[in-house]
Amino acid sequence: MSDEKEHGSGSVAPGDTSKRVGAEVIRERGVDPEELREKLIDAIGAEFTTYYYYTNLRMHLAGEEDYKEITEDARLEDRAHFELVVPRIYELEGSLPNDIRDFADRASCPDAEVPTPMDDSGGFDTSDLAVEDILEVLLEAERCAIRTWSEICDMTRGADPRTYDMAQRILNEEMDHEAWFIELLSKERDDEINPAGHFARGEPGDAPYSTNNRFNDSA
Amino acid sequence: MTQSSNETWTVTIVVPEDSSLEEAGETYDLEVGADETILAAARSAGVWLPADCQQGWCTTCAARLVDGDVANPNARRYYDEDDEAGYILPCTAKPRTDTTVVVDQYDDFLEFRAANDRPPGNSKLDS
Ligand code: FES
Ligand SMILES: [Fe+2]
Ligand SMILES: [Fe+2]
Repeated sequence: MSDEKEHGSGSVAPGDTSKRVGAEVIRERGVDPEELREKLIDAIGAEFTTYYYYTNLRMHLAGEEDYKEITEDARLEDRAHFELVVPRIYELEGSLPNDIRDFADRASCPDAEVPTPMDDSGGFDTSDLAVEDILEVLLEAERCAIRTWSEICDMTRGADPRTYDMAQRILNEEMDHEAWFIELLSKERDDEINPAGHFARGEPGDAPYSTNNRFNDSA
Repeated sequence: MTQSSNETWTVTIVVPEDSSLEEAGETYDLEVGADETILAAARSAGVWLPADCQQGWCTTCAARLVDGDVANPNARRYYDEDDEAGYILPCTAKPRTDTTVVVDQYDDFLEFRAANDRPPGNSKLDS
């Protein structure tokens, strides 16, 4: 039990709008809401950068329509993850970085770049670009996301049910995504059948866990 | 250099006194395979060190190498000056000799990265 009494949620005076009981209840349960919120910004920085990078990865899966569709589901769901958590950051009195470069720099997962060098004219040199290499980038990006959201589940378990709920919804989808790319990479690279055990989404980027509680139609 | 997977090294993990980890002040000796990361070895031995990406990118796991040598070829964001200053990322670092590392160096490492104008240094500290 915490012996730090001065931060108890009961210490917020009636009518005091300078503090949030919504943050103080987390603090009195042993989690620093500022530290959590900064971690959330890093985590959705990674959702946002992968949304961007997957656009490019998907496009370079030329002729592989089924792979493209799965990548599109994963891409749109990463955007859904970003959208789901943005309001929480503001509730915890944080904000998105003003400079998108800062947002990308602090993203908790690596840039998921097309695994090929640029050519002399500044385009992608696709001469040696292999489908299996793209699938591996996708797989490792999902694995990073699983680790990040698991860490956030650990950090919030028993202390911040609202953030925990968001993190576990996202984690559900990241685990789907990993299973999809294990299936596709196994087949493509090793000619091995390694079923994900489920089908693609009903509509592109359905996000069945992370948007089944939509805040509004744009999220 | 041979990297046969049955080669192991003793990795001594020092958790500083002033760490916020439950293990503050403790020291652990672990046998770590040459193909195993220091983080994975520690976690599977029940020493729950901080980490996030486990791809050598986010720097959450940052540690200081005080003795020995590690290989870090899979780290996604690791600079020469990190190496020169003795910082390692245990999530991707594998021992090449008996090694001693001081863990939980994230805050110091962010300052170091910022001073070198490397990410995520300033993007984290300016916020
Ligand atoms: S856990 Fe991200 S760099 Fe080690
Ligand atoms: Fe995601
Ligand atoms: Fe994902």
